[in-house]
Amino acid sequence: MIGTLHFSAEGFRVLYALLASFLWLMTSLFSKQYFYGHRNLKRYFVFCAATFVAVLGVFFAGDLLTLFLFFEIMSFTSYVWVAQEETEAALRASKTYLAIAVIGGLSMLMGLFLLEHAFGTLRISELRTSAELFLAGKGGNFGNRSTYLYTAAALLTVGFGAKAGVFPLHIWLPKAHPAAPAPASALLSGMLTKCGIFGMLLVNCYLLFADAAWGKVILILGTVTMVLGAVSAVFSVDIKRTLACSSVSQIGFITLGIGMINVMGGHGIAIQGTVYHMVNHSLLKLVLFLAAGVIYVNTHSLDLNEIRGYGRKHPFLGAAVAFGGLGLAGVPGLNGYISKTLLHESLVEHMEHLEKAGMYSEIGMFKTVEVLFLVSGGLTLAYMLKLFIAIFVEKGDGEKHTGKNSMTVLSGIAVCGSALLLPVLGLTPNIIFAKIGNLAEAFLCPAEAVTGEAESIRWLSAENLKGAAISVLIGIFVYLFVVRVFLMKKENGRKLYVNRIPSWFDLEDTVYRPVIVQALPFVLAFVCRVCDRLTDTVAGVLRMTVFAPRKRKMSIWVGTRLTHTLGTAMDAVISVLNKTIFHNHPISKSFVSVFAVSELEARKTFSLITGSVSFGLLLAATGLAITLIYLLF
Amino acid sequence: MEKEILMQIQVLFPVVAGCLLFIFSRRENKKVQTKYVTAVLLAETVLVAVSMFMGKTTVESFCLTPEIRLILCNDGLSAIFCILVTLVWLFVGIYSFCYLKGTRKPVMFYGFYLIALGVLQGIGLAGNLVSFYLFYEWMTLMTVPFVFYTRTKESVRAARKYLFYSVTGATLVLAAIFLLAGNTDGLRFTGSALNEAANRTEVLVAAALLILGFGTKAGMFPMHGWLPTAHPVAPAPASAVLSGVITKAGVLGLIRSLYYVIGADYLSGTPIQIMFFGLSLLTVFMGSMLAYKEKILKKRLAYSTVSQVSYILFGLALFTPAGLAAALLHMVFHSVIKNALFLFAGTVIHETGEERVDGLRGLGKEMPVTFWCFTFAALSLVGIPPMAGFVSKWYLAKGALSASAGVFSYLGPAVLLLSALLTAGYLLPITADGFFPGRDYVMATPEAREGNVSMMVPLIVFAAASVLLGVFSAPLYRFVTELGLNLMF
Repeated sequence: MIGTLHFSAEGFRVLYALLASFLWLMTSLFSKQYFYGHRNLKRYFVFCAATFVAVLGVFFAGDLLTLFLFFEIMSFTSYVWVAQEETEAALRASKTYLAIAVIGGLSMLMGLFLLEHAFGTLRISELRTSAELFLAGKGGNFGNRSTYLYTAAALLTVGFGAKAGVFPLHIWLPKAHPAAPAPASALLSGMLTKCGIFGMLLVNCYLLFADAAWGKVILILGTVTMVLGAVSAVFSVDIKRTLACSSVSQIGFITLGIGMINVMGGHGIAIQGTVYHMVNHSLLKLVLFLAAGVIYVNTHSLDLNEIRGYGRKHPFLGAAVAFGGLGLAGVPGLNGYISKTLLHESLVEHMEHLEKAGMYSEIGMFKTVEVLFLVSGGLTLAYMLKLFIAIFVEKGDGEKHTGKNSMTVLSGIAVCGSALLLPVLGLTPNIIFAKIGNLAEAFLCPAEAVTGEAESIRWLSAENLKGAAISVLIGIFVYLFVVRVFLMKKENGRKLYVNRIPSWFDLEDTVYRPVIVQALPFVLAFVCRVCDRLTDTVAGVLRMTVFAPRKRKMSIWVGTRLTHTLGTAMDAVISVLNKTIFHNHPISKSFVSVFAVSELEARKTFSLITGSVSFGLLLAATGLAITLIYLLF
Repeated sequence: MEKEILMQIQVLFPVVAGCLLFIFSRRENKKVQTKYVTAVLLAETVLVAVSMFMGKTTVESFCLTPEIRLILCNDGLSAIFCILVTLVWLFVGIYSFCYLKGTRKPVMFYGFYLIALGVLQGIGLAGNLVSFYLFYEWMTLMTVPFVFYTRTKESVRAARKYLFYSVTGATLVLAAIFLLAGNTDGLRFTGSALNEAANRTEVLVAAALLILGFGTKAGMFPMHGWLPTAHPVAPAPASAVLSGVITKAGVLGLIRSLYYVIGADYLSGTPIQIMFFGLSLLTVFMGSMLAYKEKILKKRLAYSTVSQVSYILFGLALFTPAGLAAALLHMVFHSVIKNALFLFAGTVIHETGEERVDGLRGLGKEMPVTFWCFTFAALSLVGIPPMAGFVSKWYLAKGALSASAGVFSYLGPAVLLLSALLTAGYLLPITADGFFPGRDYVMATPEAREGNVSMMVPLIVFAAASVLLGVFSAPLYRFVTELGLNLMF
């Protein structure tokens, strides 16, 4: 029975709730500076607080229904963030966001229906056993039981993935983030996407634990997301859009990790890599979006060409962005290195495992994924270098905005304080991360599957550094030969950043909106319209034919049959003419009566004439005349 | 003995009160009129509460011929329906005072409004199909004046259409009653009143006729056409009760005839069930799709009713206790939600004269409370937890999955969710544009211009109920579940 909410506070949930609180705290500190002089602030803060509650609800939810409840509340309250600025782009983005949220939510609900029907319970702690029992069971109207379970899982994943920003439902991210206020972007990217990831983790580790086939599907989705996001981030010339695309890409990394958890059957490395990258991405995006907010507050622009050179005199901001960028790119010494190394390691280890097992046919796929993984890592470095060099190294228009202080004290604490966490985490992997890893394994794996191998990894071994080095090299290469050459163009003697992606190359504008907003409703509405009119049309036709009020014969026949026929014909002609030629001045008289009247008049006149004396005399005279003529000739 | 009398008073009192209002309405004192109507509505509310509290009883109040008896009986289903009707009538009545102020002859509305309340009590209390049919016909006649209240050309045409559809539907019902009469013992609502010698074909044909006939009032394809025509021309309080209550009378008719006379077990698994499924799901989708495409606010809400009432019919088509329970839940919740939505439309039309959806842009800043009420009702109708619409949708889907209805077990929930998506598509943009008109929007008036208090209170009550009934749905759910189980096992 619904009506009871269940909450649970295991270690990992608490960790993420803490992280959420930290993010909300930091963004609130920054909000004071960012929103100075903005309108509708009450609205923003109320919904910000409501979203915070909802996010905590998602992480603490003890059953899927509770989770769904808070997930939906979160979707709707965070909608206000995206629409807050009320610019045209913001409103459009907010509509997309809402649409995706509703579609995702309903898909999830369908998944919940199916699960509830199959299991009779939605308690997260019982999901794993319920799934096993369900697959082992027989009977019921479930059809093929594993297909049933896959369908439910897929529906849930659509819902969670939409929020997380996994391909092909990632479209809201690159639109919503630039449109939302910077503190909200940080939260959207840092925390709301993680709620989606959290849900995906639940589906993968509870519902379909160690299901390799499912893992591969997720792995492929993650890979596509990762590459797609990274490529579009390299092309973007809008700082927040770059960060948003980068979010898509990093979510791809995380999703890849989730896939690997299942492929490897709950192996410690994959879990740790995934969870560390979740945590890292939350923190990194917090720093980067807040920094972007600082730049926006001072320059009122997000365009790389306009903010170019802004940061040349702001070393603290520069340091924060550098930490964030390098951390994201996975450079050793920062937190991103740890998680990316583990994710990479999981791929490598799995390939070794496959090689040992002699399953050579599968290695190709994982090899491809590994290559794409390293390339995406390189692209990450490339787009962060592009941002950093444009803002903090090059000279440009942004320099004229350089005031004395770019940040107030509170914002400084928020940005730099968060940025300082990154190297701290990166340099002490065995202290903090190890604890997180243990929590995550306890949460995501059944007790017997916990392995805990992360501690044995030597972070600075040549093997692990090699992966990072390859990525760095690819990144520098892409930056020098793609970004500097292909993505810049000379104008008036200065090189400007240009977005080389054609405007039609946009999944939302080219495919989703035309199909979902125009084509599909058009066709379906036509069919429905036909159904809608069906009865009315039948009734109308019946009224005109069978049930037509019989045309009463006119009780007083005006005129004779001849005049009536003539008049009716004439009327018909006139009515046609009225509709066509005499459109403006229609002739309104009825010719039936006109003819009848003239016929009557004629007859009356005739009888009058025939009855008169003069007519008699005239006839007599005519007769006399005829007789006379006859006599004469 | 008091119980029996009380039950008859429950039906007769509003009817008499309404007739008195007509007789003494020459004195055009509006204040006295509104006080009188309020008093009658309140008194009726108390009457219903007392009557329902006193427990189940049956009374034969009138006997036309030995075959045709007018029987009143208050069981659980009557309780739900009568209480729902009375409360809706009370609040919409209060709302209508301000809404109809300044229109021509509001007394005509109030008179029929009171009479219709009595007739609806009769529908709720009817103890056999013949009594039900009698009240059902009178309900149609008494509600026609609502539609042509404004006396414009369109409203009279709409009223004629409403009458045409209703009478066609009622004729089908009558034909079904003829068919059933020979196969049952007195058409009583016992759960399965069929006698042993019942002719299967005749009963099934009767069921089909009943589905089409009562489906007319419930707005089910192919007889839904009156809804989108009648709603936009009727005054908002009238649309609210037409959509919120009168359509539910059709639902009640289906429950009474299919579940109480023929019996759910008898119909389960027959071709009739498949027809019922098909028609209801088609209507669910068609209604939402057309609402999505509709630009006139009240017409959009009317199509939404077409779609949502068929959710209820889908629940009924399951022919299981769970399906019945879910259908009843949705019956109550949809009534409340749709009343909130129509009162919202009425407030907007009354205050701004805006009838089209695109004219609502930015109004949220001027009428925040009104728009918040709309938002909650809309979210509830879409089915966002923990609101009412979600609860009923949840049980509908659960009921569908647990019923062995073949492909419809899965198709049903899928269509419901698809329709929910469309519901979001036609309701949420109103909120979004209302509160987020864009930067270039200039407010028409600097200060808020909400409706009058007597309009806001009912709106807030319905909006709050559409949220709170979901949060605290457990007692109602228990009640309807027991009702379903008692009926079928």
